Amino acid sequence: MMLAILPMVPLIGACFLCSKRGRAINGPLTISTLLLILGGFGLVRVFAGQPITFRLPLPGPYGPTFYADALSVLFVLLAVFLWLVVALYAPEYMKREGGAGRFALWTLLTLSAVLGVFLAGDLLTLLLCFELMTIASFFWVIQRGDREAIGAGYYYLFFSIVGGLFLALGIVLLSVATGGLPTFGNSPVTPLYPTMFAWSVACLLIGFGIKAGMVPLHLWLPRAHAVAPTPASALLSGLLIKVGAYGLIRVGAFAGWGQTLGDGIRWLGPVLAFLGVGTMLVGVGAALLQSEAKRLLAYHSVSQMGYILLGLGIGLELGTAGELGLLGAIYHLFNHALFKAALFLGVGVIYLHTRETNLYKLGGLWRRFPVTAFLMLLAVLGITGAPGLNGYASKTLLHHALSQAVATGIPWARWVEPLFFLVGVGTAASFTKLYYLIFLGKPTPVKTTTVRSTRLHLAMVLLSIVMVGSGLAPALFPKVAAVPAAHGLGMAQAATVLGGLAFWNFADVSGMFLTLILGAIVCGAGLKWGVFHWQAPRWLTLEGLVKLFIKGASAIGRKGVAFYRLVGAAVGSWGRRLSSCLYRAFTRFDQSRNATIGRIRLVGLSADAAILMLMLTLVIACSVLNSLVRMF
Amino acid sequence: MLALVFALSSGIIGGLLVAALPAARTRLRNMVVLFFTGSGMICSWLVARQVWAGERLRFAGQLGGLTFCLDPDPLGIVFGLIAATLWFFTVVYSLGYMAGKAHQRTYYAFLLVAFSATLGVAFSGNLVALYLFYELLTLTTYPLVIQERSPEAMQAGTKYLLYNLAGAAVLLLAIVLTAAWGGRLDFVGGPILAAGLKTGLNWLLFLFTVGFGVKAALLPLHRWLPAAMVAPTPVSALLHAVAVVYAGVYGLLRVVYSVFGTTLLGELGFAALIPWVAAGTVLVGIIVATQQDILKRRLAYQTISHLSYILLGAFTLHPWGLAGAVLQMIGYAVLKTAFFFCAGIIAEQTGVTRVSQMGGVGRSLPKTMVAFAVVTLGMIGMLPLGTFWGKFYLMKGSVAGGKWPLALVLIGSGIINAVCFIPVVVRAFRDENKRLSITERGVRVTLMLVPTMLLVVVGLGMGLFPGMVWPAVQAVVDWFF
Repeated sequence: MMLAILPMVPLIGACFLCSKRGRAINGPLTISTLLLILGGFGLVRVFAGQPITFRLPLPGPYGPTFYADALSVLFVLLAVFLWLVVALYAPEYMKREGGAGRFALWTLLTLSAVLGVFLAGDLLTLLLCFELMTIASFFWVIQRGDREAIGAGYYYLFFSIVGGLFLALGIVLLSVATGGLPTFGNSPVTPLYPTMFAWSVACLLIGFGIKAGMVPLHLWLPRAHAVAPTPASALLSGLLIKVGAYGLIRVGAFAGWGQTLGDGIRWLGPVLAFLGVGTMLVGVGAALLQSEAKRLLAYHSVSQMGYILLGLGIGLELGTAGELGLLGAIYHLFNHALFKAALFLGVGVIYLHTRETNLYKLGGLWRRFPVTAFLMLLAVLGITGAPGLNGYASKTLLHHALSQAVATGIPWARWVEPLFFLVGVGTAASFTKLYYLIFLGKPTPVKTTTVRSTRLHLAMVLLSIVMVGSGLAPALFPKVAAVPAAHGLGMAQAATVLGGLAFWNFADVSGMFLTLILGAIVCGAGLKWGVFHWQAPRWLTLEGLVKLFIKGASAIGRKGVAFYRLVGAAVGSWGRRLSSCLYRAFTRFDQSRNATIGRIRLVGLSADAAILMLMLTLVIACSVLNSLVRMF
Repeated sequence: MLALVFALSSGIIGGLLVAALPAARTRLRNMVVLFFTGSGMICSWLVARQVWAGERLRFAGQLGGLTFCLDPDPLGIVFGLIAATLWFFTVVYSLGYMAGKAHQRTYYAFLLVAFSATLGVAFSGNLVALYLFYELLTLTTYPLVIQERSPEAMQAGTKYLLYNLAGAAVLLLAIVLTAAWGGRLDFVGGPILAAGLKTGLNWLLFLFTVGFGVKAALLPLHRWLPAAMVAPTPVSALLHAVAVVYAGVYGLLRVVYSVFGTTLLGELGFAALIPWVAAGTVLVGIIVATQQDILKRRLAYQTISHLSYILLGAFTLHPWGLAGAVLQMIGYAVLKTAFFFCAGIIAEQTGVTRVSQMGGVGRSLPKTMVAFAVVTLGMIGMLPLGTFWGKFYLMKGSVAGGKWPLALVLIGSGIINAVCFIPVVVRAFRDENKRLSITERGVRVTLMLVPTMLLVVVGLGMGLFPGMVWPAVQAVVDWFF
């Protein structure tokens, strides 16, 4: 019962907010705190291995099912924590931006939908909350209301709608393939039609992949995340794209975590891994070229989602030995949420003071904002994977999973390994660039306004505490949260595998340092020679290609419509001409006193008589013919 | 039985009363219209309850050697209830919309008579009754199409009559052939053309498809529908998005499940072709809609597209396909009526009839535009709205019936719907500074707004709780499978 109530709480808060226009801005804070307490105490028992299910007993084809296992509760707690942080941060920020009341309303509604997604017990309930989340968060993207924001909003909405439709198709296929919609928690399923099951998994992959920012379906992400107000960007990047990954984990559960995949879907592991690697590369490559801080961060969200997809792919491919991949993915999901939120919030603080997010117009700000600079440094070290912070731990896990895949003899894994390193270097380089250009470097004359930033910093400090804690005790989070989640998904050996892993070994630590140093060198070289200002020609970027395609398609469509009009007009005019001809002929025939049939001219005989005679002749002829035929 | 007779006759009685009243007695006329539509609606619900309880309400008479019978079954009940309920909403909306316009008496008189004709189509028990009411529906709605009496309206009216009468002529031929080959015309007791006799059936199906396809706006026969959009908005909303066009769709559903039967259709070559024609209509209709600037025309082409959803579901010949068709019928009717209502309110209050002029409407008419936006999501087939379930079961039926590309067509149509209508919504909300002068306020607007909002709420409720309409759907599926 509580599972159904939990998502309702922010909804009620939103109603409150509507009734008290604009006054109760602190509502989100209160409510997410309340939720945190509720969720924390009520749901923590699932970590002991007892999932909770609840079904609203509605008649008809659909009764919402809710389900909470360790994975869901992990995400719920993460969501609530991030919301708490943002609720601390947002009022101050939105006071400067305007539209604080609106923002709080949509934030609460989105929170409600997100909790619904994580607590959903079947795909239909998940889809319902997923669509609500799309709609509510769309208003974040268009909050600013200018041309750019609306353009980004279109991208966001269209991609999400397409994703939702693909999810619907996937659910349809799944329900036909398995003969009834499977619920979460009793996985894996045994499909009646393996091929159809495979297609359904593919559709779900597309649907969730769009939300997760998977290349080539990521086009909406950098635009939407860059244009939303910063607290919203933090949540979009920190949490909403995780919904996609969460969905993929659930889909993986239908296929079967911890066992060799069935016949039709053996492709799933490699495909996910390839998509992951592609996402990592494209994200980091594009991020290096950005000059706008929020866009850079948004592209890094794409890139980091690639890590997660790669982990999931390896986990599925290795089957019975895939624990590390899944654990790494879950751990990285958690970590990425923390440091990406912190990064966005930090950039937001700078933006609030300087009204500037263009990196090349900022510089040397560490003197003026020492606290922000320090907190940002922690977040930057986190995302680049510096030992001692949380990013190191999850990247190490993922790297171990990859090494394990290489050791098992999976052919593509050998090619992935250098790319993994390369992306690490790229990440380090682009964050060195970000940090150097904002806080170090030459001080540039930017005007600053005074903003009371205690609450802003408090929000970031909260994130940093968790980040540093998780970084210093890297095995704690997986042991407490990720292992029960993996257990719940069917990986019984997860605890043992994790127990045999040392986070602080020489090879990993030195590898990470090497990555960081190389990244710094690349960044220095790039800044010196201006490589980062290179702009890809239009046809090379995915967006340009898609635009070209759409232009072509619409041109063909317009031609088609023109052709249709032409044919329609031609048919119409021919029809009119024909009918008028016929009409004239008929009237002439009808009104003539002297009918002519062929050469015969019937003087003084009306047309009616002629017709009668004709028919009579026909009848006689037929009967004569008939009798003749019978005779012979 | 009594309920059935009352349901059918209330429209005609009311219509005659309205015609007999002096044109100036507006208030009295409004009361009469409301009373008879309301009583017709209530009687239809009573009929529905009896039919769902398993009773048979057969009402038969001889008509020159032909048996003419009313015998509602669950499918007819669904259509009848959609029509009757929405008729009431439309009448309330009309009271607001038509206030102060010319030719009101004619309008209400024919609106009420058409109500009877629609219920007659829905509750008819054999092809003779169906045909008679079907023709009557065409004739009684003609005055509503030419309501404006402008040259454009007259031309549209002629087109309307020509297309529909030609369709009915083809239909008559098909019915005669059915009577000759099947020996009976009743819907009860399994498909009419049960077994044997294979030659010529393809042609018979073709004739039926053309006959009913005109009203169902199947692709080459659709041209009357956009032209008929010159009618007043409530007429467009009810007749040209729901009642008249559903009469065609309902006829085709009858042809599939009562005349031919799924087993026989499964063997016919032409029956395998129709879903693809419907799929083509779905796509072409909505693509053409994206090119329209006049809002009502855009909605009309979208109607063409969405009607074929239902046909597509019916011709999957799978129980889920039928369930999807029925769900789509219900959910779509509710939302599309609301959609037209919104367009009507916008046109009446601000004078905006074109998509390109929509800037600023959202700020001026926030409630209407929010309703419009919600309905737009429904037209795409997103979840919190009732149309999702129709689409869901249609896709399920087409996949289970072995025609999976149809599911892709439905997805594609959803995407194009988004392309078609979301920019309209965004444009309406975008120009913050532009405010349109609102010409109408007061009771008139409330009368228009309340039914619209109620319909949107019903659509949302259906999405969150499809069990609301599921018994009706279940009854239809159980009846035929």
